[in-house]
Amino acid sequence: MNKAELKSQLKTLMVEGLKLEDVQPEEIDDAAPIFVEGLGLDSIDALELVVLVEEKFRVVIPDEEVGKVAFASVNALADYIAAQQT
Amino acid sequence: MRRVVVTAAGSINALGRGVAAFAAALREGRSGIGEISLFDPTGYRTRYAAQVAELEPPAGLSPAVLRRASRSDLLALVAAEEALRSSGWQGERDGIGLVLGGSTGGMLASEEYCRRTTLGIAGAKPSMALGTPVSTSGDFVAHVYGCHGPRLAISTACSSGGNALGIAADWIRQGKAQAVLSGGTDSLCRMTFSGFNSLQALDPAPCRPFDRDRAGLSLGEGAAMFLLEDLDHARARGARIQAELLGYGVSADAHHITQPRPDGGSAALALARALAESGVSRDDIDYVNAHGTATPANDATETRALKHCLGARAYRIPVSSTKSITGHCLAAAGAIEALACIIALREQFVPPTVGLVHPDPECDLDYVPGEARPTALRTVASSSYGFGGNNTTIVLRRFED
Repeated sequence: MNKAELKSQLKTLMVEGLKLEDVQPEEIDDAAPIFVEGLGLDSIDALELVVLVEEKFRVVIPDEEVGKVAFASVNALADYIAAQQT
Repeated sequence: MRRVVVTAAGSINALGRGVAAFAAALREGRSGIGEISLFDPTGYRTRYAAQVAELEPPAGLSPAVLRRASRSDLLALVAAEEALRSSGWQGERDGIGLVLGGSTGGMLASEEYCRRTTLGIAGAKPSMALGTPVSTSGDFVAHVYGCHGPRLAISTACSSGGNALGIAADWIRQGKAQAVLSGGTDSLCRMTFSGFNSLQALDPAPCRPFDRDRAGLSLGEGAAMFLLEDLDHARARGARIQAELLGYGVSADAHHITQPRPDGGSAALALARALAESGVSRDDIDYVNAHGTATPANDATETRALKHCLGARAYRIPVSSTKSITGHCLAAAGAIEALACIIALREQFVPPTVGLVHPDPECDLDYVPGEARPTALRTVASSSYGFGGNNTTIVLRRFED
């Protein structure tokens, strides 16, 4: 799967998996922060998103340190997943 | 001793959104019990419950709150919003305390989470189970409306709402807070339906309190919230005073996990303690809003308790069950019924027991069958008898300077 497709799937996963009623996947900026600013998700969303991403893309986010970097933005997450899958 | 007054109220239940909608239904003797649509009742003894028709969240809630608030939380938020808005409270709400009765909490959402994870259906978000503790509703209300006073969740089954009001009044008398947002909330869910169904405590038809043919209760859902306030504080800010909470009494059956003690002895004790704390005699009570669940056991026991405590007075005053109108709203019941009493005091009428058609020789008091009755009311009592023998009675009076 190419990066564009991966990012699209990630955005759909976020909106549908976290039930973000007021956001369309296409509206999510690739480079914008996901937490606190930007999309404005909080720590509970973070926990849920980790589970959703690990299940769907068969990757592991071993700890908070790794998670912080991987989940900085949609771009960062796509890079992390792509790296894990090679 | 400090006097405790009610300076605002908020309501949502099967009769509608807002205190006015509830008052109209009480006046008209209109029941909110109908066929449940929240989930499929196939296989249960009954299809009936008093379900809230449309649950629109209050305006202005953040997306994060909307994503996570359970049905019980939303009911509490709606009622709290109306109470705070109508209270005329100016400025910071920092010192406002919060005591909220709850029993099922986020159970409806947790059930859905468990159902999906067990059956492998998509859409099971762990945060659906986060709202399970009953304290969550109070947390949401305090968070959304900025109340930073002391906060407590009360969970004593069907008497939670009454106990919450009593505790809030105690805090005001003790000087812990000058104003406390207090009441109860509960939503319908499969667990309570199943639970009461297993106990064979649900009437296949809409409930008929004190009727010879009564066959059990009808569940309901909703929330009622009040701003309870120290009288001096209320006067100083020019608040409109709706009623006075004179006192409350609590007792415990220590008899059985669900059945009341048959002689009604400790239910009578709760009423006696409420009268004593309120400084009123049995002859001062003009109306009793009964627990009146319409189970064969409760109604007979409650009748005995009333006679035991009030003596001959029990035969001379109206006693009605508004659960015939609102259904049994569990932890919200005591608060919803306190609101019925406040409306009754304000408008000087007694709400009826709907569905009471055939008198039961064992229940021979005046239960105001069918129609509301204009009545001079000064002091009233509202009783709630929770599972496990948690008996609570509160006493309310028209405000007199």
